[in-house]
Amino acid sequence: MNSAPVTSTDTAWLTGLLQAGDSFYPTGAYAHSFGLEGLVQIGAVHDRATLREFVFLSALPALQHGELPLAAHAYQALGAPDWPRVGELCVLSSALKTAREARQASHNIGRQRAELAAALHAHPLAAGFLARAAEADWPFSAAISAALEGRVLGAPLPAVMAGIYYANIAGLLAAAMKILRLGQNGCQTLLTEALGRAPAVIAAAGEVAFDDIGWFNPWLDIAAARHETADGRLFIS
Amino acid sequence: MAEFHGQLALSAEARDGRTVLAAQSFRAPFHLSKPYWDVESSTLLVQVVNPTAGILAGDRLESEITVGAGACLLVTTPAASRVFKMREGAAECRQRFTVARGGWLEVMPEPLVPHRGCRYRQIMSIEVEPGGELFFADLLMPGRVAHAEAWVWDALCLEVDVRLGGERVLRERLHHSGEELRALAAFMGSGAGACFGNAVLIAETSNDDPDWREAIHALHGDGLWVGVSRLRKGGWSLKFVAMDGVRLRRALQETRRVLAACFPRLACDPRKL
Repeated sequence: MNSAPVTSTDTAWLTGLLQAGDSFYPTGAYAHSFGLEGLVQIGAVHDRATLREFVFLSALPALQHGELPLAAHAYQALGAPDWPRVGELCVLSSALKTAREARQASHNIGRQRAELAAALHAHPLAAGFLARAAEADWPFSAAISAALEGRVLGAPLPAVMAGIYYANIAGLLAAAMKILRLGQNGCQTLLTEALGRAPAVIAAAGEVAFDDIGWFNPWLDIAAARHETADGRLFIS
Repeated sequence: MAEFHGQLALSAEARDGRTVLAAQSFRAPFHLSKPYWDVESSTLLVQVVNPTAGILAGDRLESEITVGAGACLLVTTPAASRVFKMREGAAECRQRFTVARGGWLEVMPEPLVPHRGCRYRQIMSIEVEPGGELFFADLLMPGRVAHAEAWVWDALCLEVDVRLGGERVLRERLHHSGEELRALAAFMGSGAGACFGNAVLIAETSNDDPDWREAIHALHGDGLWVGVSRLRKGGWSLKFVAMDGVRLRRALQETRRVLAACFPRLACDPRKL
């Protein structure tokens, strides 16, 4: 536990991250289940127990080896800024998602986050990112735009990664409540358990080298691919 | 510990309406069968043989296959690639495939079978020029299922990188522990013998939802998971998970048959040799 007094600088970025991580923040993330609906349609996830297995066997490893390392590398690259590296990470983020819906979800949320960062904070880094993305036709990425938000707000990397971790798991569980018979308490206890793993997952993700970024769950990719042509669906992804 | 530094280099070119191997070189443990020209699909079929028992500790295998404009090549293997237990060290296999505009390359190796205690890394880099076409399928078994040995490798890392016109369109990295995949397979209901197929088709298709996709999706069920999705540019990802190797092979054969209606080179039978 750190007993150092909280500074006004801390509270500035902290409130900014809280704003960006709130469901009230218009990123469009609420419209996505990030593959979960496809797994529910196939029958793999059908109650709290199977949802819990999905979170721990798939969602957390995907964060540890995919989204969080992408954000960490982007955060470093945006510090200089090293624009060619940022562009490389944007393309990598897109190429890692073989299911179109997962890729499109990240693109749409990432674009919205980057545009909000530029519009709300009038920061040259956000404007520079948008200009270069438009010029080079970079795909957007939710993780990379979250790193951009962190740089714009002046937040340290661990806090940015914690924000991504929370937004991913909370977003997944919020979607789960709409497609499974699952109560508020059942979701919050699961969220609390998953958040308990955050320090270890974030620490491990911070050690992932650029060439080692990537992880996939073949069943999730298949479910997401089939969700594209499902007869009925509640979520975009 | 005996070590192999095997190398294979093939270059296919179009000549007089056929495809020929314009250049070839290989060093043990690689060996090359006599190429077979399949008239019906206008494709040259080549079998790469590893005459040793399999992949052993210290093996460093490198292969480079280049397909020129107008050439059509199918590369396959006659048997599964077994990666044996390693008391020390590891094995690594680097594969590089290049397809020029107007060229076609299919890579259809038999499955990879990682044995107990093996440490293996496979790096596949694919570069396709715009207008070039490619189909590859990588199959992974969980181990020697018939001997009740599955998911017990020490380290397994399978990487695929596909670039189209120099731009990365796909990057996949399977670096799961056996225990992670065993748990996922149990959770998803694919069972202890679950095996995986990862295929990529690089080809121009104007339709976002082609008929063949529905036909391949229809294979899903009865212990087989199948999903097809468009890559970010220039092609498709096709993924398979089956409860056993028989289902997986059947699904891949049927997928090739369905795709052959649009991509006639896939009518070439890889078992013809």
